[in-house]
Amino acid sequence: MTDTAIWNFRQLAHHELDGFGGIGEGMSIQIAKDGRRILWLAHESAPKNFTAVDVSDPRAPKIVARADLPQSHMRSNSLETVGDIMAVAYQTKEQGLQPAGFELFDISVPENPRSITFFDCSGPHSRGVHQLWFADGEYIHMSSSAPDFTPTHPRDDQFYRIIDVKNPSKPVEVGRWWLPGTRQGDSEPPPVRHPEGADTGFRPHNTNVYPERPDRAYLGYIDGGMVILDISDKARPKMVARWDYHPPYHGFTHTVVPFFDRNLFIVSDECVRTEGGDWPKLVWIVDGRTEANPVPIATCPLPPLDNYMRRGARYGAHNLYENLPKPNAWKSDRIVLATYFNGGLRAYDTTNPYQPAEIGYFVPAPPERAPSGAIQINDVFVDERQIVYTVDRHVGGLYTLEMDF
Amino acid sequence: MSGASTRSRWTSETGPASLFGGKDAPLFGRRQRRPRGPRLPVIAVTGFLGSGKTTLIRALLDKPEGANTAVVVNEYGEIGIDNALLRSSSDVTVLLGNGCLCCNIRTDLQETLRGLFADRARGAVPSFERVVIETSGLADPGPVLQTFATDRALGREFYLQALVSVVDAVNGEGNLERMPEAKKQVALADRIIVSKSDLVDPGATGRVVEYIASLNAAPVTNAVNGEIEPSFLLDEPLSTRQRFDLGDTEHSHGLCSFSLFFDEPLSWPSFEQTMAVLTALRGHDLLRVKGFLALHECRGPVVVHFVQHVAHPPVELEDWPDADRRSRLVFVTRDLPRELVAQLFASVAQIVAPLVHRAPQAPIVLS
Repeated sequence: MTDTAIWNFRQLAHHELDGFGGIGEGMSIQIAKDGRRILWLAHESAPKNFTAVDVSDPRAPKIVARADLPQSHMRSNSLETVGDIMAVAYQTKEQGLQPAGFELFDISVPENPRSITFFDCSGPHSRGVHQLWFADGEYIHMSSSAPDFTPTHPRDDQFYRIIDVKNPSKPVEVGRWWLPGTRQGDSEPPPVRHPEGADTGFRPHNTNVYPERPDRAYLGYIDGGMVILDISDKARPKMVARWDYHPPYHGFTHTVVPFFDRNLFIVSDECVRTEGGDWPKLVWIVDGRTEANPVPIATCPLPPLDNYMRRGARYGAHNLYENLPKPNAWKSDRIVLATYFNGGLRAYDTTNPYQPAEIGYFVPAPPERAPSGAIQINDVFVDERQIVYTVDRHVGGLYTLEMDF
Repeated sequence: MSGASTRSRWTSETGPASLFGGKDAPLFGRRQRRPRGPRLPVIAVTGFLGSGKTTLIRALLDKPEGANTAVVVNEYGEIGIDNALLRSSSDVTVLLGNGCLCCNIRTDLQETLRGLFADRARGAVPSFERVVIETSGLADPGPVLQTFATDRALGREFYLQALVSVVDAVNGEGNLERMPEAKKQVALADRIIVSKSDLVDPGATGRVVEYIASLNAAPVTNAVNGEIEPSFLLDEPLSTRQRFDLGDTEHSHGLCSFSLFFDEPLSWPSFEQTMAVLTALRGHDLLRVKGFLALHECRGPVVVHFVQHVAHPPVELEDWPDADRRSRLVFVTRDLPRELVAQLFASVAQIVAPLVHRAPQAPIVLS
């Protein structure tokens, strides 16, 4: 078995979450009324919905709550908290199933999350919500289907939606945007499909909005590349830039994180095939000085191909730490933290954005019950204490770390 | 590199920082928590033949703290003996070619370390987290220090965390008296280990320690059979205060060692131009200069390090290592006394002062 490889991180703890250690892309910190620091985690797949872990002492994480999904054909995958409100995304395995949408919870008592409301997105062509962004307590920005949306191609079933949740018991859609040509009835032609096997859809993954630019939404638009929207009028988002680098690259643009003061975008792909089938899946450094014309200037060095490609399961980029605009989240416009599935968690210094330099990594030994025999580090979050939380996609659960660079 | 090479290369107005620096662009790149930043620490062990370097390194590798250490051995003369001793207990051991590390072999050291870094990156060797270099007994440590100075060499991947000198209590005093290389090894060291103190009476050990103190104010410890606290070798000192507080050793044995303190913050152009004069005119005699600077242009303290005519890239830290906020520099020189250096600093500062006060916001580019 491969040993843990660790450089310039210090591991504080590992919690396998009592046999349910498959975690998706939702990681959010709540400071409970009694002062406890609760990390809410969305599970990658059924049967679990979410798990709450008390990480007040990051060396001794403790499970405080856990919820099951009502249906085995659902996954939650994504969640966010603001204060004592938590939003959880629900996506179904196939279109037309229920429940598909998102649910808001009152988590003022972390042991007892209470449902406030369920926002239904189900419909004949809907799988519901894959990912949501909820940072200001007022709006949810999400990648979602809708009952009234018929895509021109079944893989383009999700699009960008803005939901007003100022009244959490009555969420209301206030705006939406889709890539022209992906909805039936559009005057534009549908986009040219990626080759079969690499056709992962023209739909958003992450939909990030920051207080530095409340009039912008930064979308990883999967096979459509990076999209920047002007959302100064939420009812009518307008595209201001699109950077599409596929082909020759294999699609699945995942996350766009702006480094505002530095006019840079950090853009990640998601690796979705095993054993290097869609290599290279990368983290890109993009020059954003001219907003309408984003220019890629570098990529972060991948974990070495020879050493990782055949370790099992996926090898390549996935999630970035997103500088969440919340008080209990770390901010850095120099350091990039990225997850690479079997390549673990990697840290890069972008001080010279033309030559991002790897400055640390954490590749835990494969968990004992790993189905592929490999670790699959999936997502990362950093709190304001600079404690790093990272998770395995299948069974490994939660790892807590300190940055040592 | 010529003496003029310390000219404003880090205050250049062109380059990535001018395009993508951001509002809070630090002058010397990202502020670091510690001088080595994310770089791999290197501990270089010097000491005369038979002083106990190999025993010391073996003892370290046998301890849990010594795990994940790559060892580079530069053996002079009988190839392989020391290497064979080390290989059993270390993850990675590399034997450099026959010869002394000070001159021609320096290229070998660079190639070896570069190869190690590449092998580590591609997973061909285990994921080591530090390097220990055992130098040959005759090595002049100066070139080893210079090896890590520039990005072009190894300064981006590796950081010389400590130059450790081993002096044996039996022969040490004689070696120091007779051999200029031995003297230089001790004078330049960050930490000094007196070995074999069990083989002589305490008085003799005391005399060696006294001799060492006359050359260098670095911390000294005793080791018997290589046994010392691993932290003495491995820890990165958060504070070098101890070195600055101890007295000067000017004009002792032809080597001068002294400290300079500055109550007011310096300007970078002033510091840089002073060092440019010193390195251009007396680089050969400027054996080592290290210290922290409080600069007008920087929020955090800046770590500087010069070896003869070569300057390591300055590193800005997030915070000071202790309550003392003064700039302080420690010099090890050959026949270059404190007064001359202090006067030069004062004169250049006076010349630069009006420029600094005229445009306090903009870094001054002197070219």
